[in-house]
Amino acid sequence: MSAVPAELRAEIEAHMALYPERRSAALPALEAAQRVHGWCSPEAIEQVAAVMDVTPAYLESVASFYDMLETTPVGRHSIYVCTNISCSLCGADELYETIHAAAGEDPEFNVRSFECLGACDIAPMASVEGVYVGPLTTADVPQLLDDVRAGRPVLPAKQLARRPVADPQANA
Amino acid sequence: MKLLFERIDEPGLNTLPVYEARGGYESLRKALALPPEAVLHELEASGLRGRGGAGFQMGKKVSFLPKGAMEKYLVCNADESEPGTFKDRELMQKSPHMLIEGLVIAAYAAGATRSFIYIRGEYVQQADILDAALAEARAQGYIGEDILGSGHSLSLVVHRGAGAYICGEETGLLDSLEGKRGNPRLKPPFPANQGLYQGPTLINNVETLATVPAIIRMGGEQYAKLGVETSTGTKLVSVSGHVQRPGNYEIELGISSREIIYGLAGGPPEGRKVKCWFPGGSSSPVLTGDDLDIPYDFDSLAKARSMLGSGAIIVVDESTPILDVALKVAKFYSHESCGKCTPCREGTNWTVKLLERIERGEATPMDIEIMASVQEHIIGNCLCVLGDAMAMPIGSMIAKFRDEFESHIESRRLEPVHA
Amino acid sequence: MPRPAPRTITFTIDGLEVQAPENAMLVDAAKHGDVEIPVFCYEPKLGQPVGACRMCLVEIEGIPKLQTGCSTPVKDGMVVHTQSERVKEAQNSVVEFLLINHPLDCPVCDKGGECPLQDITFGWGRGSSRFIEPKRHFVKPLELSPTIAIDRERCILCYRCVRFSQEISEDYQLVLQERGAHSYVATFDGRPYEAPFSGNIIELCPVGALTSRPYRFRARPWDVEDAGTVCTLCPAQCNVTLTVRDERVLRVLARQHPEVDDGWLCDRGRFAYPRLGGAERVLEPLLRDGGELRPVTWERALSEAATALKRAGARTGALAGGGTTNEEGALLAGMMREALGSPHMDSRTAGGKLPPDLQRALGDPSLQAKVSDLEFAHAVLLLDCEPIADAAILDLRLRKGVRRHGMKLVRASAADLLHEPAAGELTKTLKAAGEEIVVLWHERVTAGPEGERAARALLELAATLSLTDRENAGLLEVPAETNGRGLREAGVLPNAGPGLEDIAEEGLDAAGMADALRAGELSALYLLGVDPLERDQPQWHAALERASTVVAHALFLTEGIREHANVVFPAEAYAEKRGTIVHPDGRVQRLRPAVGHPGKTRAEARVLSDIAAAVAS
Repeated sequence: MSAVPAELRAEIEAHMALYPERRSAALPALEAAQRVHGWCSPEAIEQVAAVMDVTPAYLESVASFYDMLETTPVGRHSIYVCTNISCSLCGADELYETIHAAAGEDPEFNVRSFECLGACDIAPMASVEGVYVGPLTTADVPQLLDDVRAGRPVLPAKQLARRPVADPQANA
Repeated sequence: MKLLFERIDEPGLNTLPVYEARGGYESLRKALALPPEAVLHELEASGLRGRGGAGFQMGKKVSFLPKGAMEKYLVCNADESEPGTFKDRELMQKSPHMLIEGLVIAAYAAGATRSFIYIRGEYVQQADILDAALAEARAQGYIGEDILGSGHSLSLVVHRGAGAYICGEETGLLDSLEGKRGNPRLKPPFPANQGLYQGPTLINNVETLATVPAIIRMGGEQYAKLGVETSTGTKLVSVSGHVQRPGNYEIELGISSREIIYGLAGGPPEGRKVKCWFPGGSSSPVLTGDDLDIPYDFDSLAKARSMLGSGAIIVVDESTPILDVALKVAKFYSHESCGKCTPCREGTNWTVKLLERIERGEATPMDIEIMASVQEHIIGNCLCVLGDAMAMPIGSMIAKFRDEFESHIESRRLEPVHA
Repeated sequence: MPRPAPRTITFTIDGLEVQAPENAMLVDAAKHGDVEIPVFCYEPKLGQPVGACRMCLVEIEGIPKLQTGCSTPVKDGMVVHTQSERVKEAQNSVVEFLLINHPLDCPVCDKGGECPLQDITFGWGRGSSRFIEPKRHFVKPLELSPTIAIDRERCILCYRCVRFSQEISEDYQLVLQERGAHSYVATFDGRPYEAPFSGNIIELCPVGALTSRPYRFRARPWDVEDAGTVCTLCPAQCNVTLTVRDERVLRVLARQHPEVDDGWLCDRGRFAYPRLGGAERVLEPLLRDGGELRPVTWERALSEAATALKRAGARTGALAGGGTTNEEGALLAGMMREALGSPHMDSRTAGGKLPPDLQRALGDPSLQAKVSDLEFAHAVLLLDCEPIADAAILDLRLRKGVRRHGMKLVRASAADLLHEPAAGELTKTLKAAGEEIVVLWHERVTAGPEGERAARALLELAATLSLTDRENAGLLEVPAETNGRGLREAGVLPNAGPGLEDIAEEGLDAAGMADALRAGELSALYLLGVDPLERDQPQWHAALERASTVVAHALFLTEGIREHANVVFPAEAYAEKRGTIVHPDGRVQRLRPAVGHPGKTRAEARVLSDIAAAVAS
């Protein structure tokens, strides 16, 4: 194991300080290490273990339980395409196939079919590096990928954050 | 009547000045002027039932916490991951202070001094918004040491999950918050006695806590006049699937389901009819187009052998085969089963394989019998409710759409065998 | 802290009124009525039940859903059904679910014939499966460690092994990875599971997923016999069951004794057994002839030894090893004192003589703590004691005390007792923890030049803490050698006789014997299951060199024996011994032979008697 980067150590220690028991910091700590290492590699896990004073086995077990923690190497741009029931009723499976065909083999991307992301109001949708966009059509895919590659905000007009609530009386 | 969604899209509502300008945190001031028992009384009088899925009376849940000086915890369940559900997301994103205010009041009533919001990891933007709102509230003295000079203190940490449906189950959530795999715990002991870090713990859903300021503002008895007798108040309903206007709606409990699906959400696209619908997330047994006039409240839906659950209505119209719906549902729960108990781990997995066999055209009618029997062997026999969450809807689909499963099997058997 | 003392209640199970301790879990309470409720994940040794396997579902009147018998405490008046249609249906279905991914390769599985999954399938299963899909596959078997093989296809995910690693040995190395139907048991990055108690997971596994590599394919359960005895490889004296096939010990298993080992066994005790029947063993009497040890008859060896010892007489010294039984120790002491007239004998590793009155005071029954007290005391003081090295199994008991009962663990050395302010601080710390204190001290405290002072300080500490006759409290010594306590009490000491009685003539201790041999004041040495060169005490090289006669009972020709013994008797391994030894807390434990004597080996007791008789004649 190489030395723990000082910033990573500081971030993990800050998380540990928030809880009565240091183990509670396991998820945020692994997430931080994943940001640094690209995935929860054995080295990333050993570094977290060294800071948290727990065994690497414990952390590997935790990491493998959660879908957002990657236990194999992945591309740095994550695209989670929701393919659960509501999105799939609206064409999510085809959307996923299209995105996967376009970027699935690209080592820069991590294209995953994901369980319900909690945005069925914009079905079919995807979470692009944490930003929710939808409703998407297969025609949106080239622009979506271009935006990510160029480091631009992804499909600004389709971002969930800009969408008003559906209830017509809410803003009456 | 809008309690939660009133002018929800007002620009800047996620910031403290705008929230305060419309009377935000006045309920907190009002509550802190009362003894905790009086606040608890208002919550009990409101009849508010938990908005996460189980529908347990919130005030009663608070009252289960042991009295005494030990450290108690309040955990807000913001892991919203029941398929079809996206109401908490809207609340946290647009009105985070309403949640924080409700949480501080509930903690005061329960005597909790440490609190956590466990938010699903996928909600990155919402967690960032909550963190920003928390910093504002802390700076203004609405949370932290000696809140508004009341002597009551409360810490709050926004804890982000990392992608596991089972962490929405309250004891799985507690294990996850303790930094473990999110395996549900055996009950008893119940969280009210031995929850987070073995201490007494109150766990409430986002919408439940966000409703608390309104209850304090209008009084519990007044709140109880909304809705129907055993389902008081307003409820956020997420409508999705084959409807023309999917989204969140705040309704008074007890209105007809048809009014929600057709009146508010516009019903299926022109010319298509409702084939089935999940009234409370994908874990609720499906109802059919014949059930649209059932009042949308806890007891009416239970009487129809389904449930209100998280308030997520998923509409499926006639264009989609029931097999596709069943397979999506089964695959989801199989993927999300934690693996701790046998019937859920193996039963969800087996169900997926049976459905895939039917899909491949390799099944016989006996496989439907086996599938039905597997559901029966799951229901009621698992450690937590996840197994039932698959077996109940799948069981309901087999019961209500058996013909369709059978004709699918038959039609595939008639197809020529591929070389 | 108070130990649970449950009252007896009456409940009804399958129509039968049964009395059981209140709050016992239903699966245990049912046994009082001879009703068996099947379980996989339940194992009380692992702590709180987890209710994961769902095999133990039962029907309780008044509760709508079936309940897990492993986690439901029995109450007075409870009415339980384990044979109803609903329960049978649930049991059948759990077995069917568990067999979904189980390979059913019982014919080639080491667990076959002693497998809970087989037994429960036989007793509570439907007898057929409706599952026709492909089972899950793993590369198998893999080496989980040099001693353990893992077959993940057989695993039924009962959690027992990972709970052991996390909650008993607390090494946190063995974990579950992934989730749901994809879960599997693993270590970090596939590295070996190396931990001092790892072998226990083999016994905990209710299927053939974790098997012993040394035992792999060596026998079927119907080929073997079990024999209960006590492991003498360290002072913890764990109770064991030896698996014997064709007069060979193939396997060592734990044999639960709540006051000794709590049902666990360390890896040394479990895996060191091949040595017992190893090819290197001495299997016949040897006599040095022209510088070489050569096989001779027993008659020749005995007469040569007796003649030499008789010649040396009072100038003979004797050392007894830790595996020596009380009976052998008594015979040795008798031979030395009565037949040879020599007071020079020792059974202790370290030198120094502790006055008999101090020894008696330290061993006073009213001041003795038991092993189980380590669990229930408010605090345990580890005095110059490193349990994992000195008596491994106690490490688990201490962890249990800390984890389950909040026992406070305090470490100190004898030097702390002798100096202020350390001594005062220590007393304060212990008093603050509560009244029930156990001092777990190693024999090394009373060894060496400061030993006597330390012993007095220890007694003083016991008095200050008022440990005499107190529940869950007292002194507990870990002797340096397995039967150290028994041999001292048998009088294998230079300064005390049987029962630690004062004696008229004091002899030399072990260190003194080495000096006297070098100086020519002693001429013969009798070694009963011990080679002083193995103890890393260099003065013995010259001592053995000068000795004109060395008679040894030995399992193996270690350096001191090989180079210096004149007569070597083949010794018994513990699996062959009959006799008693004394546990550190004073309890007498019995060794029973599991296998016969290999080669020309004879019982030590018989050899000692023969020599004593020959010397006396």
